[in-house]
Amino acid sequence: MDGSLGLLLNAVVSGLLLGGFYAAVSIGVAISFGMLDIVNIAHPAFILLGSYVAYLANTLLGIDPLLTAVIALPAFYLLGMAVYQVYYLSFERRQDQSLRGLSFFFGLLFIAEVTLVLIFGVDYRLVQAPYIGPSLHLGWLELPLRLLVPFLVSMLMVVGLQLFLTRSFTGRAIEAVAQDPLALRLMAADPTRIKRVAFGLSFATAAIAGAILIIIQPVEPSIGREYIGRIFAICVLGGLGSFSGMVIAAVTLGVVESLTATFFGPSWAPAVSFGVLLVTLAVRPSGILGR
Amino acid sequence: MASSLTVSNVDAGYGAVRVLEDVSLTVEAGETVALLGTNGNGKSTLMKSIMGIVRPSAGRITATIDGASHELVGRSTEEIVDLGIAFVPEGRRLFPKQTVTENLLLGAYRPKARSAIARNLDFCFETFPRLKERARQLAGSMSGGEQQMLALARALMSSPRVLLIDEPSVGLAPLLVSRTIDKIKELKEGFDLTVLMAEQNFTQAVRIADRGYVIVHGRIAFAGESAEALNNNELIREFYLGA
Ligand SMILES: Nc1ncnc2c1ncn2[C@@H]1O[C@H](COP(=O)(O)OP(=O)(O)O)[C@@H](O)[C@H]1O
Ligand SMILES: [Mg+2]
Repeated sequence: MDGSLGLLLNAVVSGLLLGGFYAAVSIGVAISFGMLDIVNIAHPAFILLGSYVAYLANTLLGIDPLLTAVIALPAFYLLGMAVYQVYYLSFERRQDQSLRGLSFFFGLLFIAEVTLVLIFGVDYRLVQAPYIGPSLHLGWLELPLRLLVPFLVSMLMVVGLQLFLTRSFTGRAIEAVAQDPLALRLMAADPTRIKRVAFGLSFATAAIAGAILIIIQPVEPSIGREYIGRIFAICVLGGLGSFSGMVIAAVTLGVVESLTATFFGPSWAPAVSFGVLLVTLAVRPSGILGR
Repeated sequence: MASSLTVSNVDAGYGAVRVLEDVSLTVEAGETVALLGTNGNGKSTLMKSIMGIVRPSAGRITATIDGASHELVGRSTEEIVDLGIAFVPEGRRLFPKQTVTENLLLGAYRPKARSAIARNLDFCFETFPRLKERARQLAGSMSGGEQQMLALARALMSSPRVLLIDEPSVGLAPLLVSRTIDKIKELKEGFDLTVLMAEQNFTQAVRIADRGYVIVHGRIAFAGESAEALNNNELIREFYLGA
């Protein structure tokens, strides 16, 4: 195979894998922001909490980070429900959510970050796992397992949540709750309960996304911030409320960034990806698959 | 088994504004009762009081569902719907970004309705073939008439025993109004429902109603024991028939 073509294809493939990772970090916001209209900008900080939980279990007990994530899911789910309850009682119930709600999540972001700094310091931390290091070679194609395994886990999570949202009664109520809470009451569903469950789920995804993050790269408490812009860009680009759109957007961004980094250098990547966002929104204001 | 509704001496309003005063009415098992009144007289407020959306400051509202009696005042809207009382509100309140099918499936959220979902869906699609054609279309993109059909069908997906409908004719072309009213009769018979329907369109409502009440300034001004009694009533001649 011709060298530059191989370079191109490898860049595309690693972009796809990177996109899978972006989907995992964005899916929680696709639920909270995309479906519930709750601007949870603290989400990346809780992804990092997930990373550090995986780190602790890995260094102290030698547990696989993905296994840790699965074990930690219920705790993250409950934490999310608790955060929603506080948010609901302090803001949403008083119809006070827009600006004050945003400052609530800003506050939460800083508290979570500072807590992580106090406990773990600002050094980079990483985990050990058999799939970190080796690569799968398929002819000219090189698939680092460090990216492939997270990609597969991420897709599993997206498909699972998508099935839950479209096939279960609670899931369908989650998709509808922001459109008309009173109408949902008329369907015999309690909108507050539905939102609490949805927010719990969005937090639970942070456990998985956190493990994936620390598998892909070493973490320190403030790197979550790097992802805030990208996460919201992916959700808006995909079309709020649409998981499939979000995945397409995540993968597009991953591929565009990977190509840019390969052919023009990594420092161009963010500019190009936000360029894609702006152009798409100019053509399709509701995002790729927004309704 | 029998399902009925009784409103006794209800006062209700919004904050300090009193809208309903000493309102009493009954809907007996299997009846279609019309709640008649021109704009602003309190029809919607009464319906919202029954559904727990507006909290009455006095009076009782009791529903008998399949023989079991329940006091409704103080219950949440979702509890009331869960008892088997469905409500098609003013403005229909569909989920505009969900498809027709998704709206219908949301109607079946009530645990008791979930086992009947396939049968109810068939019935709705049979009664409203248009909804079947548009099953994958977003509710918000449909015409007013189609939206009204979807709102009715969605309410029926909860397998209700009592159905409240607030002004089904609003915003519809005259031909569609009479068709919608006919459909309500068909649904009522198909599902063996007890129906309370608020309407301004007297002539259409009385076509399918067994009895009716006229509400004026938040008070029941007249209770007509038959369609004929309503037709011959002075108040109604004055308000609706321009006599
Ligand atoms: N949300 C509300 N807040 C304050 N007043 C209201 C509200 N809704 C209705 N009203 C008032 O209550 C009265 C009865 O309204 P409504 O029950 O909607 O009448 P109808 O359904 O017969 O047209 C009107 O005077 C209306 O202005
Ligand atoms: Mg009204």
